[in-house]
Amino acid sequence: MISKSIAESVLACAMSGGADFAELYGEITRNNSISMVDGKIDRATDNLVSGVGIRAFLGTRTVFASTSDISREGLMKCARAVAAAMGEIKAEISVTLRERFLPNIHPAAVVPSGVDARVRAELLRAGCFAAKEYDPAISQVTGSLMGVDHTILVANTEGLYTTDRHIRTRIAVSAVASAAGVNQSGSASPGAGMGLEFFDRVNPADVGREASRQAMVNLRADYCPAGTMMVAIENGFGGVIFHEACGHSLEATSVAIGASQMAGKLGQQIANVKVTAIDDGTILGAWGSVNIDDEGTPTQRNVLIENGILKNYMIDRLGSRRMGMPMTGSGRRQGYTYEATSRMTNTFIANGTDKNEDIIASMENGLYCRKMGGGSVNPLTGAFNFAVTEGYLVRNGKICEPVRGASLIGTGSEILQNIDMVGQNLETAQGMCGSSSGSVPTDVGQPLIRVSTITVGGR
Amino acid sequence: MRFDEIKQVLADAATRAGLAEYEIYYQIEESVSAETLKDEISSFASGVSGGVCFRCIVDGKMGYASGELMTDDALEELVQKAISNARCIDNDDEVFIFAGSPEYASLPERDIRLNDVTAVRETALALQKALYAEDARVTDGTQSYALSVTNEIALYNSHGLSLSNRVGMSGAYVNPVVRDGEEAQENFEFGEGATFADLTALPAKGVKGALDKLGAGGVASGNYDVVFDGTQFRQFLSTFSPVFSAKNAQLGLSLLAGKEGETVAAKGVTLVDDPMRAESPMQTPFDGEGVATARRNVIENGVLKTLLYDLTTAKKGGVASTGNGQKGSYASPVAIAPYNFSVQAGDASEEELFAAVKNGIYITECKGFHAGTNAVTGDFSIESAGFMIRDGKRAEPIKSFTVAGNFFDLLKQIDRIGKEVKWGIPGGFTVFGSPDVLVKDVSIAGK
Repeated sequence: MISKSIAESVLACAMSGGADFAELYGEITRNNSISMVDGKIDRATDNLVSGVGIRAFLGTRTVFASTSDISREGLMKCARAVAAAMGEIKAEISVTLRERFLPNIHPAAVVPSGVDARVRAELLRAGCFAAKEYDPAISQVTGSLMGVDHTILVANTEGLYTTDRHIRTRIAVSAVASAAGVNQSGSASPGAGMGLEFFDRVNPADVGREASRQAMVNLRADYCPAGTMMVAIENGFGGVIFHEACGHSLEATSVAIGASQMAGKLGQQIANVKVTAIDDGTILGAWGSVNIDDEGTPTQRNVLIENGILKNYMIDRLGSRRMGMPMTGSGRRQGYTYEATSRMTNTFIANGTDKNEDIIASMENGLYCRKMGGGSVNPLTGAFNFAVTEGYLVRNGKICEPVRGASLIGTGSEILQNIDMVGQNLETAQGMCGSSSGSVPTDVGQPLIRVSTITVGGR
Repeated sequence: MRFDEIKQVLADAATRAGLAEYEIYYQIEESVSAETLKDEISSFASGVSGGVCFRCIVDGKMGYASGELMTDDALEELVQKAISNARCIDNDDEVFIFAGSPEYASLPERDIRLNDVTAVRETALALQKALYAEDARVTDGTQSYALSVTNEIALYNSHGLSLSNRVGMSGAYVNPVVRDGEEAQENFEFGEGATFADLTALPAKGVKGALDKLGAGGVASGNYDVVFDGTQFRQFLSTFSPVFSAKNAQLGLSLLAGKEGETVAAKGVTLVDDPMRAESPMQTPFDGEGVATARRNVIENGVLKTLLYDLTTAKKGGVASTGNGQKGSYASPVAIAPYNFSVQAGDASEEELFAAVKNGIYITECKGFHAGTNAVTGDFSIESAGFMIRDGKRAEPIKSFTVAGNFFDLLKQIDRIGKEVKWGIPGGFTVFGSPDVLVKDVSIAGK
């Protein structure tokens, strides 16, 4: 993408404004996507993203510039902009890079961009048709299949020159069920850090049927009652609760500047003793896995909370400087136009000791959240919200009728203490997490958990 | 490579491939921004990014391919990819490369340029200083952020249609963090302006907003009369704007399908889309297909007058395109979206709205729209914060409650409308705005 000698010149120029560190990030990403509506393939697109971002540090001050012009002149212009914004131009220092090569532990057997659109369309068709055929009440099905082939180059003035290639595949199906003028919806969208061989593992038709199943459940659901109650949250995307309620508050982005409720709490009991939470960017072929982060640091398994005690944060290069703590392979960015910052990879609550059946049986009155939608959080106050996309009332230890339109709200510190039972069926699910460095793929996950009390928004 | 050269390479490749109908859409964005932390610029960024989209009709189907790499090889590959993408499509809707509208709105003479690097830095620093000076409770974590963006668009197609536009904006955000004992609160405020002199009101507004949230308590569950601040109601408009898309209506994904001419909102509600709104930083005379845009009342005095159409949905619906076939970025396929979309201002002052409510809730913060809403059903359940209204006046702050309901019901339950439209921050070519609105009998879940 960018030769070692050009990278050396660019970094030397970027340093000439008095920086103590400079970094070059290059990207070539091939995105392809096919979408289907109403039983017909209605869109097929290819997009090639290509550009560089150059960043320089002086202590904890940063300067960043990016360009889609990757000619030598384009790169040098970008580097000069960085140098000029940092300070008075001094003599260039010389930079020597040494290439590093690490094996790719997340291989892709079938690279999506290399497969004809018509072949990919068949996979999507299978998913959407199965959703439509699930029930006559399914009135509309939309779906998409996307492939991303993301190659990055990272070079910096510590001498690093390395590349990585990350391929991912995802299918999404949404179904709408209609009866008597009422629409209800359901969706499923599994993905992985692998190529089209993903569909040897996940049958597109199952994805479609799952979307329709949820839509049908919601069609017979009444509004969820509002109020404070005990809830059980199922595995998979239920893990969004931890992602939002706690994960974002453990990112150096907010911790390092004191804008997190978790700042200064290392070693403290911040969660119920039943809670152990991990961010692991090394899980084979997982949606949120990468060999190296976008600053070139190999990803690792970070135990964030162990038996309720805060053990670590997720720390990028700038966060490391601000906090005086080591980097954790958490520096991520959507692409060249964003500066990397601390982000999650695959983040989950580990299996606990409670039996799943005991969790439901223990609930006199409450809400069982089988599927969760997305959510958001304010890291400063810890206030979060997330949507329940498939929920059921629980009475006397039994799961009863479905309810719709519920959301869970609370604060991270409260809910972490209130997770008082943790089951044993850990599973992860895929999401796109948006933050200051753009949208990055992350896995969320957990086993079934019980939250002793939380505010449920309904009506 | 300049647009002229890119155009030539693509047009030649299209001719060689035997394509009769194609379009080239080019966009380049420049930006500069500065962010402060404590009393210095902690981060400074600038960027130039752009790309080109090639789309073409092959056997009645439209294929797209786009990219940022402007070499001859990469551009020629776009033509091949677009052709192969067209071949996998089986949707039978008629697609168009547009020959042109009879006329296009002319842009007012205005100076759209990227703000000076020094001005951006100085604005951020001055705002930050003003935030700390505003109140002793302003604490570290407080940030100011100044930015400037320009966007250049060019469209050329096989009919010889050639259009271009340039939009841009300079502005700033402040994000004061205030601490009182153990409690921390923050607030975001955005203002448009190229220098601190244009933004002097921003720090006080930002800090006051954060301080007002301190000491917020809960609220009992129940049904309340609610005043939604315009800054929040516009988020409802934004979230539910897909229901006005003719495409969603034709697909059965909008409950407004077939309702043109029917009453869908309270009598006082008029919803306007105004692509060339005078104060807007995003004035757009043509859409992503090259169709001229125009000001329209989507809802007029409660009656749905029109949905928003692009060429394909207009053909299907037997109407003319409303010029709402947008491309969110060069790489996006044409999708229906509004431009400057707002509830038209009413006549009530804030005091009058509170007085009309007497006892109820004033909502000033809503979060999690991407999760807690469903545009297909109109249902929403949204984490909110705000203030009690007691005896017709704003009273104590409240937080940690949800407001739940249905967007279509909300439109019908709007009782009074404030007199100032509060505009948001542009996303693509779209900006949402709303005055404060009073809605009766809204479901609140709290304590």
